[in-house]
Amino acid sequence: MKITTIALLIAFALPAAANSLPSERRKNGPLIQVALGPVQISLQESSAVFYNNATSGPFIYGTVVSEDGLILTKASELEEIDSYYVRIGTKKYRSVVVVGRNDVWDVALVKIEATGLLPVDLNKEVDLSHGTWVVSNGATERRFRRPRPGIVSANKREIPGGSPAVLGVGLDSKDDGVFVGSITEKSGAEDAGLKKGDHLVKVDGTEIKDRDGLIAYLKTKVPDDVIKLEVKREEETMELEVTLMARHKLYGGSKSRNDQLSGGEVQQSPRRTGFPMVFQHETMLTRRTVGGPIFTLDNEFVGMNIAAVNRVEAFAIPAEELAAIVEGLKKDL
Amino acid sequence: MVTAASLMCGLMAHADRPRFNDKEAPQSLDDFREIQKALQENLERARAATVCLQMGGGSGSAVIISVDGLVLTAAHVTSKVDQEITVVMEDGRKLKGVSLGLNSETDSAMLQIIDDGPFPFVEVDLDDSTKLGDWVFSLGHSGGFDKERGINVRVGRLVRQADSTIQSDCMLIGGDSGGPLFNMAGELIGIHSRVGASREESMHVPLREFQAHWDELKEGKFIGSGGFAKKSIPGSGFLGVITEKAEEGGLRVTEIWEESVAEKAGLKVGDRILEVAGEEATEKGMSSKLAELGEGDKLKLKWISGDESKEETIQLGKRP
Repeated sequence: MKITTIALLIAFALPAAANSLPSERRKNGPLIQVALGPVQISLQESSAVFYNNATSGPFIYGTVVSEDGLILTKASELEEIDSYYVRIGTKKYRSVVVVGRNDVWDVALVKIEATGLLPVDLNKEVDLSHGTWVVSNGATERRFRRPRPGIVSANKREIPGGSPAVLGVGLDSKDDGVFVGSITEKSGAEDAGLKKGDHLVKVDGTEIKDRDGLIAYLKTKVPDDVIKLEVKREEETMELEVTLMARHKLYGGSKSRNDQLSGGEVQQSPRRTGFPMVFQHETMLTRRTVGGPIFTLDNEFVGMNIAAVNRVEAFAIPAEELAAIVEGLKKDL
Repeated sequence: MVTAASLMCGLMAHADRPRFNDKEAPQSLDDFREIQKALQENLERARAATVCLQMGGGSGSAVIISVDGLVLTAAHVTSKVDQEITVVMEDGRKLKGVSLGLNSETDSAMLQIIDDGPFPFVEVDLDDSTKLGDWVFSLGHSGGFDKERGINVRVGRLVRQADSTIQSDCMLIGGDSGGPLFNMAGELIGIHSRVGASREESMHVPLREFQAHWDELKEGKFIGSGGFAKKSIPGSGFLGVITEKAEEGGLRVTEIWEESVAEKAGLKVGDRILEVAGEEATEKGMSSKLAELGEGDKLKLKWISGDESKEETIQLGKRP
């Protein structure tokens, strides 16, 4: 049985006459940021901010992982922007080269020309029990990284899912086979020249028996894989190569009621599932404020924010996973 | 029977008020550490008593407040009195519960676990000692039960107070409804009710609203005519049978609606109904009872099917 959650009603805020705490004193208020000053120093030195050259607006954070300019960031956000520059501390770096990418974790390693940076320590394992304060980047100023607090909020775990690879067609099951019922605009299927009504005969040399069989085969693929489809159109048989796309890119993320409550695409990371291991915290982040490092109150580096999931949940890649990820990506250097 | 008064026996005196609550904001990292320490000291017990409620395809949260399984939640979660509800502990253990009373004006509701205890429970801030600006934490099964993830905890401050609502900046989402808000002594101070447009506006029903109607809620009363729960409309309930007077006494079933609750309960054409709601079955009695009851209300029937004697409490469907 599919269980949906009881809708949380959206109400008007209480009347102003009600007894109210001034906003600067609240959890995300400026007074709290002041008290986090000693941790802000770590954020200031070890965070990178990626700015879109077209808009001059910051669009994603990065985590400095080497003294000589290697930065880890969220791959699916980076590739959305054509050209960008990076700020670390108060300095600006114009030349940014992507040196590697890991789709399993949705991270990219980039290189800037720099020396003497203050990288995070990837080799420390810190116990993060529920309720432990962690500090991330909030909104940023040009020269100042604003700290934002939150607590570890749930069990450390694998997040299944990922963004499935999709063809970009609606399938039409008939007695005599599987046909293309519709084509999604700007999909790999459209680019490959598939047409509505095409009979899908074989995929990568194997006969397509039914709809479920084709879907099961696609599940073994990842976005950007290329498959060969044997297609029968009227009396003609042809072979087409189709590049699969990530579902979230083609169709956007899922939009449950809880997603709507979470600000939809403005606030949520489009790629927010499918991570081998994350810890979860409740810091108020958006899709634009992930990618940066997370520190404890003792300035220990504990992970990198990888997804603003919804109104109450943020995911981070634990520090102990990052060392191996970075090593793997450095091989591409 | 546990009453409000006897519930107090289990309560300890209020712990000393933590210093961080009386500061404008944390002044140093040590203030943050003290908040963390207080939260973590009380978290295990609070988690153990926080449950997920599942009924009719919906899911919300709630909290156990007595060793014998009295539960507080939101009216818009239980939505009806005397309804069977599955209570899920954080480890996935499922228990049977039944909703008691609710207040449709303020969004408060009670539920009783029917299975045998003892159950983990939390203490309640009966003195209403939590003040504006105090640090609080919130638990719930956000988005529904997820065994791998477990219960979600969030921290924040009490940012507004009004008569029947308190507001915190602990963030909430669907599925948290009915879950508990605690002060840093681990005492229950409110139940999650609704959210504002901003992520930082979360509204909770304060404990004092439960206390104001404690006995009525325990007795299973449907209070008020507010928007958080709708009373069933008399006559809207549907059993799905046509009967005629049987010569040997009671009512003979002559027709059964397909997919009706009567069919699902196992009633068959030819069966003889002996009792309706504990009284001898008559045509007049049956029709007046059904005119009284609404969709989702319960009707106890006793009948004979072949040689077999049956008894079932049937939850009425919707009159087509």
